[in-house]
Amino acid sequence: MLRAARGQQQAQATKRSWNVVVFSVGGIKLAARTEDVGGVSPWTESIPVPSRTPFVQAMLKRDNYLMPVYDLATRLSRKLQGDPLLCLVARHADGPMAICIDADVPSLETVDAAAIRPNISRDIETLGSVTIGGDDVAIVALQRLGRLGQDLI
Amino acid sequence: MSLRGHQKSTHLLVETASFLVVRLGGSYLALPADGVRGVLTQEETGNEQAVTVAGTLYQPVDLAQLLSLVADLSGPEMRTVLYSKGHSHGAIRVEQVVGLTDVERKNCLPLPPQFQRDERNWFGGMMLYQDLLVLIVNPSWALGELAEVVRVAVGERQRMAAAGPLAVGGSC
Repeated sequence: MLRAARGQQQAQATKRSWNVVVFSVGGIKLAARTEDVGGVSPWTESIPVPSRTPFVQAMLKRDNYLMPVYDLATRLSRKLQGDPLLCLVARHADGPMAICIDADVPSLETVDAAAIRPNISRDIETLGSVTIGGDDVAIVALQRLGRLGQDLI
Repeated sequence: MSLRGHQKSTHLLVETASFLVVRLGGSYLALPADGVRGVLTQEETGNEQAVTVAGTLYQPVDLAQLLSLVADLSGPEMRTVLYSKGHSHGAIRVEQVVGLTDVERKNCLPLPPQFQRDERNWFGGMMLYQDLLVLIVNPSWALGELAEVVRVAVGERQRMAAAGPLAVGGSC
């Protein structure tokens, strides 16, 4: 009984907090749930692909692995900052997707789930927003990134 | 031990598709080789856009414009690829013919499902050739046989997504 109660407490504690990766695109701080991030590495030149899908117009080759690139900076009308730029791999519902982000190395944060506010912005797919270091940071829904953009264009 | 058995096992191992790899702007494209009827130089085609060879009229196909690619078709390596698919015949001008290659079908990959619009009709898939990303052009679309083009169903996209972008081969 005691063990079960402890387990429930731990589960509740886990639900009460989210682990997020905080990164920036064009100086805008954004966050994503750690489980939605496949990794961060130096950005390499992408390969343009003729496409009419908004913000999906290139591929990235890593060894023998190819993945589509999502141009989040263009979607947010921002210019990427710093050098060398970094590549954040999003665990998108349709498969891994590369996003070019600023050179600032992302950080890991734990946020209280109760502190996450619903985000009514239609600029980008989010899971809400939270205050981190005094900044209002949107938690990007990487798994469904691009779905809202499809409707807007 | 029989010769017949030996031949059978060999055929099972090799299942390939042949492609003519060309360059247009910064993009490398592959045309299924079974439709290629010839490759002509600028001198051979002259200034004519349409080309008649062996009694067949090949109508000009501006693939660069169709794909919104910026291509320089005035260079010395420019070639006109004569291509046939069914009853359609096209003269496709490209910046460069890179080469002819046989690709194991398992190495032909579907376009990732994140590409969701017209490009799914433009390209039948993609592959790596000499470390380059090459997009496999759908010749039915390029030659205007749009009626033959079957759009990828939602269910198919979901199947591809579940398998991952490189897990599914055989897109050629």
